[in-house]
Amino acid sequence: MSASCPTGSDLNSTWLFVQPGLEFILGSHGDQGVNSKMYMNCYTAIYNYCVNKSRHPTPGGGSLSGLGSSGGSDKSGSQAYSSTNSYSLAGAEIYRKLDDYLIQYISSLKKEDQESFLEFYVKKWTRFTIGAGYMNNVFDYMNRYWVQKERSDGRRDVFDVNTLSLLKWKTHLFNANAKKLIEEVLEQITKQRNNEIVDTSLISSAIKSLVFLGIDVQDLKKPNLVVYIKHFENIFLEKTAEYYTKESNQFLEQHNVVDYMKKCEVRLGEEVSRSNNYLEDHTKKYLLETLNKVLIEDHAQIMYNQFLDLLEQYQIGHIQRMYKLLSRIPSTLEPLAKCLEYHIKEVAVKEIEEIKRAAEVEPVGEASSATGTPTPAAPGAAPAGSLLRRKPNPGVNPKTYIHTLLQVYFKFNEVVTSAFNRDPLFIKALDNACRHFINKNSVATPTPKSPCRTPDLLARYSDAFLKATSKESDISDMSTDNLMIIFKFIEDKDSFEEHYRRLLAKRLINSNTKSDELEESIIQRLQEENSLEYTSKMTKMFQDMKASEDLKNNVKEELDQSSTTAGVKDFTPLILAHSMWPFKFSEDYDLKLAPELSQPFQKLEEIYHRKHNGRQLQWLWNHGKSEIKANLSRKGKPPFLFTVSNVQLMILLAFNKKSTYTFKELSELVGVAKHTLESHLLPFTKYKLLDQSPTGSPEVLGLPDTTFTIVEEYKSKKLKVNFVSSIKTEVKQEEEETKKEIDETRRNYLSACIVRIMKARKTIHHNTLVNEVATQALSRFRAKIIDIKKVIDYLIEREYLKRVDNDTYEYVA
Amino acid sequence: MSQPKVIIVSSDDEKFPVELKVAEKSILIKNMVNDLNPDGLEEDFELPTPNVKSTVLAKVLEWCEHHKDSIFPDDDEEDAKKSAPVDEWDKNFLQVDQEMLYEIILAANYLNIRPLLDSGCKIVAEMIRGKSPEELRRTFNIVNDFSPEEEAAIRRENEWAEDR
Repeated sequence: MSASCPTGSDLNSTWLFVQPGLEFILGSHGDQGVNSKMYMNCYTAIYNYCVNKSRHPTPGGGSLSGLGSSGGSDKSGSQAYSSTNSYSLAGAEIYRKLDDYLIQYISSLKKEDQESFLEFYVKKWTRFTIGAGYMNNVFDYMNRYWVQKERSDGRRDVFDVNTLSLLKWKTHLFNANAKKLIEEVLEQITKQRNNEIVDTSLISSAIKSLVFLGIDVQDLKKPNLVVYIKHFENIFLEKTAEYYTKESNQFLEQHNVVDYMKKCEVRLGEEVSRSNNYLEDHTKKYLLETLNKVLIEDHAQIMYNQFLDLLEQYQIGHIQRMYKLLSRIPSTLEPLAKCLEYHIKEVAVKEIEEIKRAAEVEPVGEASSATGTPTPAAPGAAPAGSLLRRKPNPGVNPKTYIHTLLQVYFKFNEVVTSAFNRDPLFIKALDNACRHFINKNSVATPTPKSPCRTPDLLARYSDAFLKATSKESDISDMSTDNLMIIFKFIEDKDSFEEHYRRLLAKRLINSNTKSDELEESIIQRLQEENSLEYTSKMTKMFQDMKASEDLKNNVKEELDQSSTTAGVKDFTPLILAHSMWPFKFSEDYDLKLAPELSQPFQKLEEIYHRKHNGRQLQWLWNHGKSEIKANLSRKGKPPFLFTVSNVQLMILLAFNKKSTYTFKELSELVGVAKHTLESHLLPFTKYKLLDQSPTGSPEVLGLPDTTFTIVEEYKSKKLKVNFVSSIKTEVKQEEEETKKEIDETRRNYLSACIVRIMKARKTIHHNTLVNEVATQALSRFRAKIIDIKKVIDYLIEREYLKRVDNDTYEYVA
Repeated sequence: MSQPKVIIVSSDDEKFPVELKVAEKSILIKNMVNDLNPDGLEEDFELPTPNVKSTVLAKVLEWCEHHKDSIFPDDDEEDAKKSAPVDEWDKNFLQVDQEMLYEIILAANYLNIRPLLDSGCKIVAEMIRGKSPEELRRTFNIVNDFSPEEEAAIRRENEWAEDR
């Protein structure tokens, strides 16, 4: 056995011995297989050659053909024998032999007639790479010493045998045929795209070979995709774009958008699995980019065009499909979101227009009561219509209005959730649209300049379900959640606060709240949504109510201890902090208290002042009401129960003493302004409790000598009679008051804002100041620039600021 | 069922059946077994080692057997490996006559058994360390073929390295 294995350092005899083995290894004569003996013999022959040659180098042999080693200092593993004074690693010559042999072998590979080039290439490549792996091990000794040393000496044209083999393959087979090969690969891919059956292993192997051929001669350990990208990826992407541009255009000529979107989904799925199967990860990103462009971006316009139809038909599934496709290219979503926003606004306009028209054709009475102001039914057979306040702007029912807004919101919130996966872009579109139509619509702002009525209507909506007197069936579908949804979108939050607070005040002083818990929970949520400051007045109102209750108990205790409680069964004094409550003291109501009532009244003032020395109490006689028992019934019947205003109470108490008074006498007794007295008297004459002489109102009623006589026996079908509700009050005036108050609050808010900013900044440019103020005010209302300017001028006048230069302000401390 | 064995045949035709993992200490054998049995070793596999005679092969396989479960660091940490002391077991194992030591070193190089090659070379280095040229000539049985002039010249050149 060792006889067949050369032990010497002769190159030719070694090579003659090794070459037949290599032919087996590379399978040049078909695959007879390689056995261990052949393998070991080849290895041993190369080992022997290298070892012996290194020990006994032929003169100059070490650097033959420029491939020799530089000799000299040496790494581990080489044994120096002192018998030779120079030692060099051998390998260059046999490396050259191998190099030549590989070229000759690769060049001899020929395609057979019946096979395609691709088949030929893959078959030979597969076999060759196995052989190259074997050879690498057979030449292991050379790799280990000579090749490693050459490379660590900086030679970059010497490679381990496996790499050498691949490089030879690349130079002598691949380079010349790359175009043909890739063409055939792409042809197969096209066939597969056309749903023809192809041998994917051919495609896969050919593509893999490109990766293996990407050898960086500087760093063999670092594989690269240069060959793959240069020869395959670029042209593959090009062809892909071409293929799908054509296909999508043709498909869209014959099919609708929905079918096209389904087709896209299928195609995208196919391409992803194709790329997983035999493309490099590197390509995936570019492949998807290419597909996204030609399948989706290029046809985005067609999808947009279809979008409104799908929305109108509420085709959530298809909208979702469209969203998913377009979201692959985020930039294409923006127009879709714009479309959605536009559509929501359109729908809202239509819906609101509808309820507005419906409200206009409804009978006046209903429309009027629908405004939600607390107007309990007029007593008896009185002609209701004439007493109800009519508004210049026929009102839409707050509930109908708010629920219409909500319905639009809910509908599209559902679309955003189920079709758009709550994508922030679409949430924003929904929010924008809602903010727009909730603050600006034909009901809220009949003219472009008019202040928005939505806050008012929302406050009334809340009032409706917070009032104790509302019917359960009317309010079952109204809720705090609904209130909060609309509240979030309202721009004039201060206006809502003002309106809400007015209605809350009325509920509180009239003991008309359904549930304190509910009321407080709303305050809590408004506070969370906006700020502590926002609800501070309302919170104070609740505190006042509690403090008043305590005060009342105090007074009662002291009264009980003292003397009689002449005629007064019960009373509810409310001490309300000035400026927290939406009530103003009015000179018109400077009431003189009837002596019967003075005792508890004085006691109350006494106790209050004892507790809070120095505070001023002003009585708002225009608010509050009394119930009195009137013994004016027919004999044997129970007494009547009258609900009267404070003014009316004083009038009626006077009739306890005598039965007839002139207007002048009454006026002196009661003390309020003439027109106030008139309006409070009117219900009595109207419902025949007092007989007026001479008759004829209203001019005669207020004449000093007109007399009023109380009837002996009052005739009414009802035992309870309400004289309050038919007193003419000035709603218009109240509305104006509200508006005035809002304006004033805004001015104060803006000046506070400006002063705060100026204190911090000292000097500031006009535009910056205006912008900052507007931003800060946003949580309350949308400040108009002209208003900000006015406040600035006012502050300059008051010498808080002064102008420096033309458009800069300075803070004056 | 016993695992298929690798049967290594020495140059003088003696057969050494060993476990695969023992044989695989030789990277040469490991690569070849893998190359020729791409689906794993299914039956006994015979291979010749034409450059190793049975006495040496027995020693080498004894080493492989002992180290069949040892894990040797990769080649990357050359420096760490160079400075590491020789494994105690290896030191005892390589307490053999010089002839055998060289044969083992050669076989380790041939069969590509890096850790054994390293241990062998380190033992030789130990033998050299601290000895005078005369002692070295005795130890390694080397004839001094320098002329006195040559020797003097070399000494002068290497004066700087003399241990004083």
